[in-house]
Amino acid sequence: MIYLLLIYAFIAVINVPGLIKRREWRELAAFSVLYVIAFALSLMYVLDIPVPSPMKGLQHLIVDILGIEYPQG
Amino acid sequence: MSIEKGRISSQQLLFLISGFVQGSVLLIDFTVGITEQQTWMVLLAGLAIAVPVILSYAALAKRFPGMNLVQINDMVYGRFLGKAISIYYIFFFSMTLSFNIRDVGELYITFLMQDTPFIFLLVFFAATCAYAVTKGIEVLARVSHLFAVTGLFVTFSTFILLIDQMDFSNFLPLFELPFIRLFQGIHIVSIIPFGETVIFLMIMGSLNKTEHAVKNTFLGLLIGAVSLLVVAVRNTAVLGRTQTIWTSPSFQSIRLINIGTVLTRMDFLIGIAQTVLIFFKCSLFLYALAVALSQLFGLKSYLPLVLPLAGIEVIIAATVFQSPVDHAVITQNAGIIYSAPLIFVIPPLSLWIAKIRGLPKFETGEGK
Repeated sequence: MIYLLLIYAFIAVINVPGLIKRREWRELAAFSVLYVIAFALSLMYVLDIPVPSPMKGLQHLIVDILGIEYPQG
Repeated sequence: MSIEKGRISSQQLLFLISGFVQGSVLLIDFTVGITEQQTWMVLLAGLAIAVPVILSYAALAKRFPGMNLVQINDMVYGRFLGKAISIYYIFFFSMTLSFNIRDVGELYITFLMQDTPFIFLLVFFAATCAYAVTKGIEVLARVSHLFAVTGLFVTFSTFILLIDQMDFSNFLPLFELPFIRLFQGIHIVSIIPFGETVIFLMIMGSLNKTEHAVKNTFLGLLIGAVSLLVVAVRNTAVLGRTQTIWTSPSFQSIRLINIGTVLTRMDFLIGIAQTVLIFFKCSLFLYALAVALSQLFGLKSYLPLVLPLAGIEVIIAATVFQSPVDHAVITQNAGIIYSAPLIFVIPPLSLWIAKIRGLPKFETGEGK
């Protein structure tokens, strides 16, 4: 948990001041959105909350719903 | 407006592509379980199918000089459909990057550093890739020949060291497998090592001259393919049918090297080469992902997105599959099916539409 906070504090420290100084608000907004997603996912991982797998969803859609699959064996 | 200011030469493109394709050497293991001793044939067939498609990427980049895939999609398909297609590509880049980061973690956990926490390996690997990406494509391109040559050196030197243990009757019988398995093998090979070169549509916009782009793309692909072929032939000739039971046939065959009891335990060579090559491949994927997202959001620079994206990719890599078996099963089905349109349909279709509509109009002087 401490490592997680340190890593994300480091990411913010090396990106945010430059963006504010150059008044790049659009870049700051995009950075913030991804930063929050990354932090939320990392927090879920550290707290052992299951992170949904996009590939499991895709496998369900393609194989189970659409029925497209190579025969096994 | 171009997000990337750096420029690369078409010779550097050749090394970038050959290094990138060699980064998938361990991934032919996905095919080995399906196509067994006929993997070499499947590789050649996959190459034959992929070459025209990949040359269409180079032709597309030549037609739209200085533009990346997101810009090309916007121009060819219009703002809304173009953006939707670009988001599909971004999803593909993101997933493929996370699988490759996971591959490195699995490689280390299984063979090299069993007691190290998995997440630790992923974090440090992704941070190294992020550092490389912040230096820009020009820097990666300038060192690309080193990566390509390292891969070729390890592949050919291990082949030579294993010649005394090869039994070429291991390739028999030919044409024994059912067609559907060969087809699946060709599908995997044409997507995983070769089709993933679609990311070069995010990079070819940085070419300083596009004249030799098609030729150098082909040569780069050919060098990478020869390396993969040598690995497939080596593994089958050395291990025979047993290659399907090992987690990594490459590691297993290299472990058999024994030259006068002096040259033994050479598996570290594969460890080094694969770490270097997958690092290279992941860096290119992370670069493509960051540039595509920045282009989509209309940003001036991709640099602020690199570290948060690396953070997201690490967590996806750590959680996307439960085991290497899960990884193989999903990749052999859903993984190759969802990415097929992105690789085989959209770029050639874009080229065709661009030809019919006479795009890009600013170049031909027809636009206003």
